[in-house]
Amino acid sequence: MSKTLFGMIQALQETISSQEAFLTELDGAIGDADHGINMNRGFEAVITKFTEEDTDIGASLKKLGMTLLSTVGGASGPLYGTAFMRAGAEAQGKETLTLEEAEVMLAAAIKGIQDRGKAVKGEKTMLDAMMPAQDALKQAVAEGLSVVEGLEKACAAANEGIEFTKTIRATKGRASYLGDRSIGHQDPGATSFTLMLETATKYLKA
Amino acid sequence: MVGIVIVSHSEQIAEGIKTLAGQMAGANQKIIAAGGMTDGSIGTDAIRISEAVAAADSGDGVLVLVDLGSAIISTETAFELIEPEVAARVVIADAPIVEGAISAAVQASIGATLAEVKAAAEMAKAMQKL
Amino acid sequence: MIQKSYTLGNKLGIHARPAAELVKLAGAYESKVTIVAGEKRADAKSLLMVMSLGAKMGQTIELTIDGPDEADAMQAFDTLIGNNFNEA
Repeated sequence: MSKTLFGMIQALQETISSQEAFLTELDGAIGDADHGINMNRGFEAVITKFTEEDTDIGASLKKLGMTLLSTVGGASGPLYGTAFMRAGAEAQGKETLTLEEAEVMLAAAIKGIQDRGKAVKGEKTMLDAMMPAQDALKQAVAEGLSVVEGLEKACAAANEGIEFTKTIRATKGRASYLGDRSIGHQDPGATSFTLMLETATKYLKA
Repeated sequence: MVGIVIVSHSEQIAEGIKTLAGQMAGANQKIIAAGGMTDGSIGTDAIRISEAVAAADSGDGVLVLVDLGSAIISTETAFELIEPEVAARVVIADAPIVEGAISAAVQASIGATLAEVKAAAEMAKAMQKL
Repeated sequence: MIQKSYTLGNKLGIHARPAAELVKLAGAYESKVTIVAGEKRADAKSLLMVMSLGAKMGQTIELTIDGPDEADAMQAFDTLIGNNFNEA
């Protein structure tokens, strides 16, 4: 099977759709129980805007991000929207990526989310999965690993990040209103990021 | 004249505030509602907000009134989507959305500067109702 | 500087809409316009200050206008307040 950008976006949409209830349930524990619903609405809109003709990774991620901005509705719209747009800006005109380029894109996405949410690592947000994933990618680049090997390391690091979010208090977003009661629950944003990263990795590996 | 943009999760709230503030400030005051999502659901849409800001700007700047949560983050994202020259003269008011919008719109309608209009909106934070 | 007192004749006093009318009128002049009602004082170019005067029907307010166009401004305020802010 040939791998295409459209195929990967379809895979992402399928993951978000199948995990909608799970993400919403996680958000119900510490937020306003809409993360899955919002993300699913966003990706349902995204999928209608892409075809196999979309091969420019930069332009496509920009389009994907813009679509999330105007369809997700909750805070994850501008956060993921900015993340995809900033990542796309690092991949203009590219149809394939090296692991090194993927790391630069993830770094740009993290910077975008930090600009928006003014969050740092350790505040029980999606950054707690994204930043370890980026560190893992950086190390994988240094070790000369393949794209899939590098992404697998990043997935493992992101999953550890999710586990870490269970141990800490939320200090950003609506979950912060719960204070210590947010401990024990994993962060929905860190989870949706990890699910997307795993989906992309599996798609490339298949 | 400073323009006003109303950002709410609800399209009806944004439209209602626009009508109310517009009645107080007069027909010449630019007030643009940017509430809800294009499919009619509750939420905030950075693209809709960016279009509202561009429409509200006539060169003297724009004050944005927001409701809660993602309204702020979507508005900040919208600033990134508009011309940097326009984005440089757009600010968010730290004010209650209804009272702030009315106060800001009236202030803007008498030709006040962006800083004065923002201050007028933010005065609403301290207003005692009873 | 000119000062003049008025007794409010409109039923609801200086509620939101008359306050907006006062502010828009004050904004049309360069002069500084101050309204005093009882213990409270407001810059007439600030809607919320004027509203927070809470001036009621029958209450006396004192208008102070100071600036180069004070005479014209006072005449305009005379008309607006004399007409009960164009309401009942």
